[in-house]
Amino acid sequence: MNSEMWAKMHGATVHFPIALILCSGALDALGFLFPGLAIRRGLHTAGYWTTILGALGTVPAVVSGLVMSKGVMLGHDALRYHHLFVWPALALIVGLAVWRAFAGDFTTRKPPIGYIATLGVAAVLIMGAGYWGGEMMLGH
Amino acid sequence: MNSVDALIPEPATGGRIAVAAFAGLLALASSYALSLGLRREESKVSHQQPTPEAWFETPTPSSPALIAQGRALFLSSCAHCHGADATGDEGPDLHDVGVSDRYISNIITHGIKGEMPSFRKKLGSDEILRLTAYVRSLD
Repeated sequence: MNSEMWAKMHGATVHFPIALILCSGALDALGFLFPGLAIRRGLHTAGYWTTILGALGTVPAVVSGLVMSKGVMLGHDALRYHHLFVWPALALIVGLAVWRAFAGDFTTRKPPIGYIATLGVAAVLIMGAGYWGGEMMLGH
Repeated sequence: MNSVDALIPEPATGGRIAVAAFAGLLALASSYALSLGLRREESKVSHQQPTPEAWFETPTPSSPALIAQGRALFLSSCAHCHGADATGDEGPDLHDVGVSDRYISNIITHGIKGEMPSFRKKLGSDEILRLTAYVRSLD
Protein backbone atom coordinates (compact mmCIF):
# COMPACT_ATOMS: atom_id res chain seq x y z
CA MET A 1 0.00 0.00 0.00
CA ASN A 2 1.52 3.35 -1.01
CA SER A 3 1.76 6.63 0.90
CA GLU A 4 -1.29 8.08 -0.83
CA MET A 5 -3.43 5.17 0.27
CA TRP A 6 -2.16 5.49 3.84
CA ALA A 7 -2.93 9.22 3.73
CA LYS A 8 -6.51 8.36 2.79
CA MET A 9 -6.63 5.77 5.57
CA HIS A 10 -5.39 8.41 8.02
CA GLY A 11 -8.06 10.83 6.85
CA ALA A 12 -10.71 8.15 7.15
CA THR A 13 -9.74 7.03 10.66
CA VAL A 14 -8.56 10.17 12.41
CA HIS A 15 -11.93 11.89 12.69
CA PHE A 16 -13.42 9.18 14.91
CA PRO A 17 -11.16 9.77 17.93
CA ILE A 18 -11.37 13.54 17.43
CA ALA A 19 -15.17 13.52 17.41
CA LEU A 20 -15.53 10.92 20.17
CA ILE A 21 -13.12 12.61 22.59
CA LEU A 22 -14.69 16.03 22.03
CA CYS A 23 -18.14 14.50 22.63
CA SER A 24 -16.85 12.69 25.68
CA GLY A 25 -15.51 15.92 27.17
CA ALA A 26 -18.75 17.77 26.46
CA LEU A 27 -21.00 15.00 27.86
CA ASP A 28 -19.05 14.48 31.08
CA ALA A 29 -18.65 18.23 31.61
CA LEU A 30 -22.42 18.72 31.23
CA GLY A 31 -23.15 15.92 33.70
CA PHE A 32 -20.59 17.36 36.12
CA LEU A 33 -21.76 20.99 35.86
CA PHE A 34 -25.49 20.19 35.99
CA PRO A 35 -25.92 17.27 38.39
CA GLY A 36 -29.63 18.03 38.70
CA LEU A 37 -30.35 17.15 35.08
CA ALA A 38 -32.66 14.19 34.65
CA ILE A 39 -30.35 12.80 31.99
CA ARG A 40 -27.18 13.10 34.13
CA ARG A 41 -26.67 9.35 34.25
CA GLY A 42 -27.20 9.07 30.51
CA LEU A 43 -24.66 11.83 29.89
CA HIS A 44 -22.00 10.06 31.93
CA THR A 45 -22.79 6.68 30.41
CA ALA A 46 -22.41 8.20 26.94
CA GLY A 47 -19.24 9.95 28.15
CA TYR A 48 -17.87 6.61 29.34
CA TRP A 49 -18.38 4.87 26.02
CA THR A 50 -17.19 7.78 23.89
CA THR A 51 -13.98 7.91 25.95
CA ILE A 52 -13.35 4.19 25.55
CA LEU A 53 -14.20 4.17 21.84
CA GLY A 54 -12.20 7.36 21.27
CA ALA A 55 -9.12 5.74 22.82
CA LEU A 56 -9.62 2.61 20.69
CA GLY A 57 -10.01 4.87 17.66
CA THR A 58 -6.55 6.34 18.22
CA VAL A 59 -4.97 3.00 17.25
CA PRO A 60 -5.81 3.03 13.49
CA ALA A 61 -5.34 6.82 13.39
CA VAL A 62 -1.82 6.67 14.87
CA VAL A 63 -0.76 3.60 12.90
CA SER A 64 -1.96 5.02 9.56
CA GLY A 65 -0.38 8.41 10.36
CA LEU A 66 2.99 6.89 11.22
CA VAL A 67 3.01 4.62 8.17
CA MET A 68 1.96 7.54 5.95
CA SER A 69 4.81 9.71 7.26
CA LYS A 70 7.24 6.76 7.09
CA GLY A 71 7.79 6.70 10.83
CA VAL A 72 8.38 10.41 11.43
CA MET A 73 7.60 11.24 15.07
CA LEU A 74 8.03 15.03 14.81
CA GLY A 75 9.05 16.33 11.37
CA HIS A 76 9.06 19.97 10.33
CA ASP A 77 6.71 22.92 9.94
CA ALA A 78 3.01 22.01 10.11
CA LEU A 79 3.78 18.31 10.59
CA ARG A 80 5.88 19.18 13.63
CA TYR A 81 3.11 21.32 15.14
CA HIS A 82 0.60 18.52 14.39
CA HIS A 83 2.78 16.01 16.22
CA LEU A 84 3.46 18.35 19.16
CA PHE A 85 -0.29 18.21 19.82
CA VAL A 86 -0.82 14.56 18.80
CA TRP A 87 1.60 12.81 21.16
CA PRO A 88 0.54 14.45 24.44
CA ALA A 89 -3.10 14.02 23.33
CA LEU A 90 -2.53 10.30 22.69
CA ALA A 91 -0.93 9.74 26.09
CA LEU A 92 -3.71 11.64 27.87
CA ILE A 93 -6.54 9.94 25.95
CA VAL A 94 -5.22 6.42 26.55
CA GLY A 95 -4.49 7.22 30.19
CA LEU A 96 -7.95 8.75 30.72
CA ALA A 97 -9.67 5.79 29.03
CA VAL A 98 -7.82 3.29 31.20
CA TRP A 99 -8.64 5.28 34.32
CA ARG A 100 -12.26 5.55 33.23
CA ALA A 101 -12.48 1.83 32.53
CA PHE A 102 -11.64 1.23 36.20
CA ALA A 103 -13.77 4.10 37.53
CA GLY A 104 -16.93 3.18 35.65
CA ASP A 105 -19.59 5.41 34.15
CA PHE A 106 -20.22 7.73 37.14
CA THR A 107 -23.92 6.89 37.37
CA THR A 108 -23.80 6.73 41.17
CA ARG A 109 -20.83 9.00 41.87
CA LYS A 110 -19.64 12.36 40.58
CA PRO A 111 -16.56 12.38 38.36
CA PRO A 112 -13.52 13.96 40.04
CA ILE A 113 -12.87 17.49 38.82
CA GLY A 114 -9.32 16.43 37.94
CA TYR A 115 -10.72 13.94 35.45
CA ILE A 116 -12.96 16.55 33.83
CA ALA A 117 -10.08 19.04 33.68
CA THR A 118 -7.68 16.49 32.15
CA LEU A 119 -10.34 15.46 29.64
CA GLY A 120 -10.68 19.14 28.73
CA VAL A 121 -6.92 19.40 28.17
CA ALA A 122 -7.01 16.27 25.97
CA ALA A 123 -9.90 17.74 23.98
CA VAL A 124 -7.98 20.99 23.42
CA LEU A 125 -4.86 19.06 22.37
CA ILE A 126 -6.75 16.91 19.90
CA MET A 127 -8.38 20.03 18.45
CA GLY A 128 -4.90 21.51 17.99
CA ALA A 129 -3.74 18.30 16.31
CA GLY A 130 -6.77 18.40 14.02
CA TYR A 131 -6.15 22.06 13.17
CA TRP A 132 -2.53 21.44 12.13
CA GLY A 133 -3.55 18.30 10.28
CA GLY A 134 -5.98 20.44 8.31
CA GLU A 135 -3.28 23.03 7.70
CA MET A 136 -1.10 20.32 6.16
CA MET A 137 -3.86 19.14 3.86
CA LEU A 138 -5.38 22.48 2.88
CA GLY A 139 -3.20 25.35 4.02
CA HIS A 140 0.13 24.36 2.47
CA MET B 1 -30.75 16.14 50.90
CA ASN B 2 -31.85 14.76 47.54
CA SER B 3 -30.13 12.02 45.55
CA VAL B 4 -28.08 14.53 43.50
CA ASP B 5 -26.68 16.25 46.60
CA ALA B 6 -25.78 12.84 47.97
CA LEU B 7 -23.45 12.15 45.04
CA ILE B 8 -19.88 11.90 46.22
CA PRO B 9 -16.93 12.22 43.86
CA GLU B 10 -15.32 9.08 42.53
CA PRO B 11 -12.11 8.63 44.52
CA ALA B 12 -9.04 9.23 42.36
CA THR B 13 -6.81 6.63 43.99
CA GLY B 14 -3.07 6.67 43.42
CA GLY B 15 -3.08 3.11 42.10
CA ARG B 16 -5.56 3.90 39.33
CA ILE B 17 -3.70 7.08 38.39
CA ALA B 18 -0.43 5.14 38.20
CA VAL B 19 -1.99 2.49 35.94
CA ALA B 20 -3.49 5.23 33.72
CA ALA B 21 -0.16 7.06 33.49
CA PHE B 22 1.57 3.80 32.64
CA ALA B 23 -0.98 3.11 29.88
CA GLY B 24 -0.45 6.59 28.42
CA LEU B 25 3.32 6.17 28.42
CA LEU B 26 2.97 2.67 26.95
CA ALA B 27 0.94 4.14 24.07
CA LEU B 28 3.72 6.66 23.40
CA ALA B 29 6.43 4.01 23.66
CA SER B 30 4.54 1.74 21.25
CA SER B 31 4.21 4.60 18.76
CA TYR B 32 7.93 5.32 19.05
CA ALA B 33 8.79 1.64 18.52
CA LEU B 34 6.57 1.55 15.42
CA SER B 35 8.23 4.74 14.20
CA LEU B 36 11.71 3.25 14.59
CA GLY B 37 10.70 0.08 12.75
CA LEU B 38 9.15 2.03 9.88
CA ARG B 39 12.20 4.26 9.53
CA ARG B 40 14.50 1.24 9.51
CA GLU B 41 12.42 -0.39 6.78
CA GLU B 42 12.30 2.87 4.82
CA SER B 43 16.08 3.12 4.80
CA LYS B 44 16.23 -0.22 2.99
CA VAL B 45 13.98 0.79 0.10
CA SER B 46 13.53 3.55 -2.47
CA HIS B 47 16.69 5.49 -3.36
CA GLN B 48 18.81 3.29 -1.09
CA GLN B 49 18.69 0.57 -3.73
CA PRO B 50 21.87 0.28 -5.84
CA THR B 51 21.44 1.32 -9.46
CA PRO B 52 23.23 -0.61 -12.25
CA GLU B 53 24.68 2.48 -13.93
CA ALA B 54 26.85 3.05 -10.84
CA TRP B 55 28.93 0.05 -11.95
CA PHE B 56 29.84 1.64 -15.30
CA GLU B 57 29.81 5.38 -14.70
CA THR B 58 33.07 7.25 -14.13
CA PRO B 59 32.94 8.79 -10.65
CA THR B 60 32.74 12.56 -10.38
CA PRO B 61 36.18 14.08 -9.65
CA SER B 62 36.57 14.71 -5.97
CA SER B 63 39.02 16.27 -3.54
CA PRO B 64 39.16 16.91 0.20
CA ALA B 65 38.36 20.59 -0.44
CA LEU B 66 35.32 19.72 -2.57
CA ILE B 67 34.10 17.27 0.06
CA ALA B 68 34.57 19.87 2.83
CA GLN B 69 32.57 22.42 0.83
CA GLY B 70 29.93 19.76 0.19
CA ARG B 71 29.83 18.99 3.91
CA ALA B 72 29.20 22.68 4.69
CA LEU B 73 26.34 22.75 2.16
CA PHE B 74 25.00 19.50 3.56
CA LEU B 75 24.87 20.94 7.09
CA SER B 76 22.96 24.00 5.94
CA SER B 77 20.54 22.35 3.49
CA CYS B 78 20.23 18.64 4.23
CA ALA B 79 21.23 17.86 7.83
CA HIS B 80 17.85 18.75 9.33
CA CYS B 81 16.34 15.75 7.51
CA HIS B 82 19.29 13.38 6.99
CA GLY B 83 21.02 14.12 10.33
CA ALA B 84 24.26 16.04 10.90
CA ASP B 85 26.28 12.87 10.37
CA ALA B 86 24.09 11.78 7.42
CA THR B 87 23.06 8.62 9.24
CA GLY B 88 19.41 9.50 8.76
CA ASP B 89 16.69 11.22 10.75
CA GLU B 90 13.47 12.07 8.97
CA GLY B 91 15.26 11.26 5.71
CA PRO B 92 17.27 8.10 5.09
CA ASP B 93 20.86 7.22 5.95
CA LEU B 94 23.09 8.40 3.11
CA HIS B 95 26.05 6.11 3.79
CA ASP B 96 26.84 3.45 1.19
CA VAL B 97 23.94 4.46 -1.03
CA GLY B 98 25.31 2.40 -3.92
CA VAL B 99 23.91 4.68 -6.63
CA SER B 100 25.68 6.62 -9.36
CA ASP B 101 26.84 10.22 -8.97
CA ARG B 102 24.38 11.24 -11.66
CA TYR B 103 21.59 9.60 -9.69
CA ILE B 104 22.63 11.48 -6.53
CA SER B 105 22.74 14.85 -8.29
CA ASN B 106 19.40 14.13 -9.98
CA ILE B 107 17.79 13.42 -6.62
CA ILE B 108 19.22 16.64 -5.17
CA THR B 109 18.12 18.61 -8.21
CA HIS B 110 14.63 17.21 -8.71
CA GLY B 111 13.79 15.77 -5.29
CA ILE B 112 11.50 12.78 -4.75
CA LYS B 113 7.77 13.33 -5.02
CA GLY B 114 6.18 13.23 -1.60
CA GLU B 115 9.50 12.52 0.12
CA MET B 116 12.13 15.16 -0.56
CA PRO B 117 11.98 18.70 -1.97
CA SER B 118 13.75 19.77 -5.14
CA PHE B 119 16.86 21.93 -4.62
CA ARG B 120 16.98 23.14 -8.23
CA LYS B 121 16.13 26.73 -7.28
CA LYS B 122 18.17 26.82 -4.10
CA LEU B 123 21.46 25.32 -5.27
CA GLY B 124 23.54 25.92 -8.36
CA SER B 125 25.16 23.14 -10.39
CA ASP B 126 28.54 23.73 -8.67
CA GLU B 127 26.95 23.37 -5.27
CA ILE B 128 25.15 20.20 -6.32
CA LEU B 129 28.50 18.85 -7.55
CA ARG B 130 30.05 19.56 -4.12
CA LEU B 131 27.11 17.95 -2.34
CA THR B 132 27.38 14.91 -4.61
CA ALA B 133 31.09 14.64 -3.80
CA TYR B 134 30.28 14.76 -0.11
CA VAL B 135 27.57 12.10 -0.34
CA ARG B 136 29.93 9.95 -2.43
CA SER B 137 32.61 10.36 0.26
CA LEU B 138 30.26 8.64 2.73
CA ASP B 139 30.64 5.31 0.89
